[in-house]
Amino acid sequence: MKYRFSRKQLAIPYAIFLFLFVILPLLVVIYYAFTNSEGKLSFTNYVGFFRSGEMLGTLLYSTVIAVLTTVICLLIAYPTAFILAKAKMRSSEALLLLFVLPMWINFTLRITALKEILTLFEGNLAKYQFFNTILCMVYDFLPFMILPLYNTLTKLDDSYIEAAEDLGAKKSHVFLKVILPLSVPGIVSGVTMVFLPSMTNYVVLDMIYNSTYIMGSLIGSYFSAYDWNNGSVISIILLIIICVITAISNRYTEKDTDERGNNLK
Amino acid sequence: MKSLLRVKKGLGRVLSVAGALGLATILSGCGAAGEDDVIVLRVANWEEYIDEGDWDEEEAVEFSDGTVICPEKPLYEDFEDWYYETYGQRVQVEYSTFGTNEELYNQLTIGDVYDIACPSEYMIMKMLREGMLTPYSQEFRDPEKEENYYVKGVSPYIAQVYETLSIDGLSVNDYAAGYMWGTLGIVYNPEEVTAEQANSWSILLDEDLSRRITIKDSVRDAYFSAVSICYRDVIMSQGFQESDSYGDMLYEVLNRTDQETVDRVQAILSDIKDNVYSFETDAGKADMVTGKVIANQQWSGDAVYTMDQAEEDDFELCYAVPEESTNLWFDGWVLLTEGLSEDARKQQAAEAFVNYLSMPESAVRNMTYIGYTSVISGGEDDKVFEFVENTYSADPEEEDEEDLVEYDISYFFGEDRDAVLLTTEDQTRRQLFAQYPSEDVVRRSAVMACFDKEGNERINRMWTNVRCFTLKKWVQKTFK
Repeated sequence: MKYRFSRKQLAIPYAIFLFLFVILPLLVVIYYAFTNSEGKLSFTNYVGFFRSGEMLGTLLYSTVIAVLTTVICLLIAYPTAFILAKAKMRSSEALLLLFVLPMWINFTLRITALKEILTLFEGNLAKYQFFNTILCMVYDFLPFMILPLYNTLTKLDDSYIEAAEDLGAKKSHVFLKVILPLSVPGIVSGVTMVFLPSMTNYVVLDMIYNSTYIMGSLIGSYFSAYDWNNGSVISIILLIIICVITAISNRYTEKDTDERGNNLK
Repeated sequence: MKSLLRVKKGLGRVLSVAGALGLATILSGCGAAGEDDVIVLRVANWEEYIDEGDWDEEEAVEFSDGTVICPEKPLYEDFEDWYYETYGQRVQVEYSTFGTNEELYNQLTIGDVYDIACPSEYMIMKMLREGMLTPYSQEFRDPEKEENYYVKGVSPYIAQVYETLSIDGLSVNDYAAGYMWGTLGIVYNPEEVTAEQANSWSILLDEDLSRRITIKDSVRDAYFSAVSICYRDVIMSQGFQESDSYGDMLYEVLNRTDQETVDRVQAILSDIKDNVYSFETDAGKADMVTGKVIANQQWSGDAVYTMDQAEEDDFELCYAVPEESTNLWFDGWVLLTEGLSEDARKQQAAEAFVNYLSMPESAVRNMTYIGYTSVISGGEDDKVFEFVENTYSADPEEEDEEDLVEYDISYFFGEDRDAVLLTTEDQTRRQLFAQYPSEDVVRRSAVMACFDKEGNERINRMWTNVRCFTLKKWVQKTFK
């Protein structure tokens, strides 16, 4: 007799994992974020963060890096994903492989290699810290933007495009009014996959000799100075940013499937 | 000096576990003693900070009395054998490593238990203040006992420094036994950087070296250099230099943590940040050898390693200790109260471990292997000095007479010994100088103490500020 697992039972391994490595640590972070070094309830660390020019500067610096990385990734990834999605079946899969291939190699190794190439061109990496940071971030995160876009664009039904063309829409209108709106879910998931990690991906900065802190380095530096409280505060601030962005993007995707999709049907 | 051998740490641990298993089999086999009778000694040391054995024959060190050193096993495993032969008691070393003082401290506060560990001076003081340490026993200090290699062999200079250090009325000397020591200085490429430039910490701000010099990514080392720049005029003034209490005054100036000093240091470090290639954690050595940078703030032991590496690539690097001052650092073995838990046998084994590491042969093994300088001068035993002589003495018949200089390191080896080396002139700027700084360097060195809580917080905040992006500064720089 075959034993069948119920859905509940199947969820147990992940539930354990979720509890031990996501929920429990989160509770610990929340505890430290709202207490001071004596263990008493306190919000002074938040006040300290938002009053300090250096902290806000770091938030700004990380955001600028993240925005630039995301925009450049999007500009490169969208046409690429479009071509891949619309290409003939066989060649497109091979092409996609080429773009996804780098993901299989650890990013520190890839950055190390890129570092040597850049040294060859630039001579002294430290003179172009900001440019190199953006370049390495884009290199690192590009596949994370291409994949979701590719997935959305392959699912896009060609008959919509044909219909638009038959009804006399110009090429630019077809793209702006049909293709782009329909690929919004892909854009949203690509952006969330790139924007937030690039705010904290401080190993890249360390590796290419950019000594300026971003949000990730701040957390790291607080924890290594045993300042659990301030480190947790930064984590919570990032968490809030994550929540806000996810909420906004969810609204977009929902609107898209519910309204636009229905309209077209 | 031979270069560092990169032995996988994991291997050492596997071997010691394997050794322990073998040991257990032997013990249960003969039935004389149960497994309980093995003292387990939990040792925490820096990574790459002990001889791991496995030397090639050509690396062997030979002494005039016929002793040959060419170890196969790691030093801590040889200790297990030596302990059994000497005391008739089995001991098993559980050897683990840490990367920074803070990491060790964090491990200990989170609940890891060790019996003996090897932090740096300021961390020793912090642990001492927090009551984590057990003092060494009276027997350990008895120079009459044959096995007391530490008291018999420690350099009089190091012993004197240890005696001067105390915190909350507790003397560091009672709680710590030295292991390695050295200075903080500048490794530089003599073809691109002059000795004069490297002679001041201001080199870190030197625009000629813009983006071609690195600094360590370490608050304390950066702070020390910046304070030296900050108070350079005070320190270098004639009145200060010639004062009777120069040493004490230097210590006071370089250990200032008041708000005004910290603010000034922040401004200096901020400028340094815009001038250096990077704040490096470990890349500095390689970047020096590949030529990406031409000067690098470095600890003396790593400087030796870097210069050795450069020699293998057929070019020369030098080491300088700036004239303002240098951070005299030393790592020492401390007994951890929580680990020992008042077990007298365990404490005895831990003390014997220190003594074994302090045998002149062990000191030479470690120095050959890791490039850092042992605190052991050997006392009446000549081996350490002989090793230094063999490594650095020049042959008067082979060298140009003008190149030869006398290099006095008797401050370290004790006045009884005529510790003056005849060496080539360039060695006074190179490995010999990095391993055993000259007497004037020793005079201008200062220990960096363990800061109090407020001072520490101020400095950590300052460090974060330096590393953060500030819009104001960016605007000033971009639109100036």
